[in-house]
Amino acid sequence: MKQLRIAIILLLIGGLLTTTAFFMAFFTAEVQQFGTVTVASELDTAFQLVSVGDNGFSYGRPWFSQKIFYFHVPVAEASFLVLLLSAVFAVRFLMTRKRSFDTKSRIAMETSLVFVILTMITGVLWTRASWGVWWEWEPRLTTYFIMMLMMIAYFVLRNSIEDEERRAVYGAAFAVLAAINAPISFMITRVLESNHPVVFQSGMASSNLLPFIVAQVGMLMVGYAVYALRMSEERLGERIDAAKEALEG
Amino acid sequence: MEATNAELYRLALTDAPYVIAAYGILWISFVAYVTMTLRRVMRLEKAVVVLEESLERREA
Repeated sequence: MKQLRIAIILLLIGGLLTTTAFFMAFFTAEVQQFGTVTVASELDTAFQLVSVGDNGFSYGRPWFSQKIFYFHVPVAEASFLVLLLSAVFAVRFLMTRKRSFDTKSRIAMETSLVFVILTMITGVLWTRASWGVWWEWEPRLTTYFIMMLMMIAYFVLRNSIEDEERRAVYGAAFAVLAAINAPISFMITRVLESNHPVVFQSGMASSNLLPFIVAQVGMLMVGYAVYALRMSEERLGERIDAAKEALEG
Repeated sequence: MEATNAELYRLALTDAPYVIAAYGILWISFVAYVTMTLRRVMRLEKAVVVLEESLERREA
């Protein structure tokens, strides 16, 4: 199957790129800073000290947990894009009523949910390390959490409807509703005051930008590969059902 | 050890479990999910071959 071969190739390239990004994040990317610490006198230290007049010297507090960023953001952005893909297929289903678009929309939603859950886990760990709490009801986290709940509700809704046609129509409408959350969640930190870091707003050194881009490209490839892999599985399932029906008939 | 360097190590060691957990969970989840899907795909491919062969035999 062509789609399966493409999925495996993308999975291998994506895996290679994300592994490369992982090593770059830890060995070539410079450590970011999170606030400053002031000391009374000059010290022989690995930190770069800056004189602050009569107050002594200050240094940027290293932010080691920021290393989570190199995978947390690419996984989150992949989740947004795959969710939007699900909505595109949902709209196409509503326009054409072709069952294949409903299947594509459902598989994209499932793939996106995997990425959303992984974004939540890495995000919660980063929140705990940086802010000292496991969760904070700030705009980005709250909107992303609502988006995740709506995606879970999509599958609950589908499983609660027996009629295939109604299930597909309600599912498609709900997929579009869930996808509306993606741009809201993405833009909210740029509109409302938020503790959540905003990528690119404060600039990024090239040593930090490169692993991020490599991880982003790799993660998008992995995202599409996972989707294509699940679609192959779905198509094989359909072929088995058709063959069984023909044998029984 | 200088106080600030001691803090450097302390900061790195405090954050390390969260960073390791984040990358570990991410990779293990991806590998597990992809492996399970690939195994299902391979099993289905075998089933498709068997079913379509028996269908061809019956039609022939």
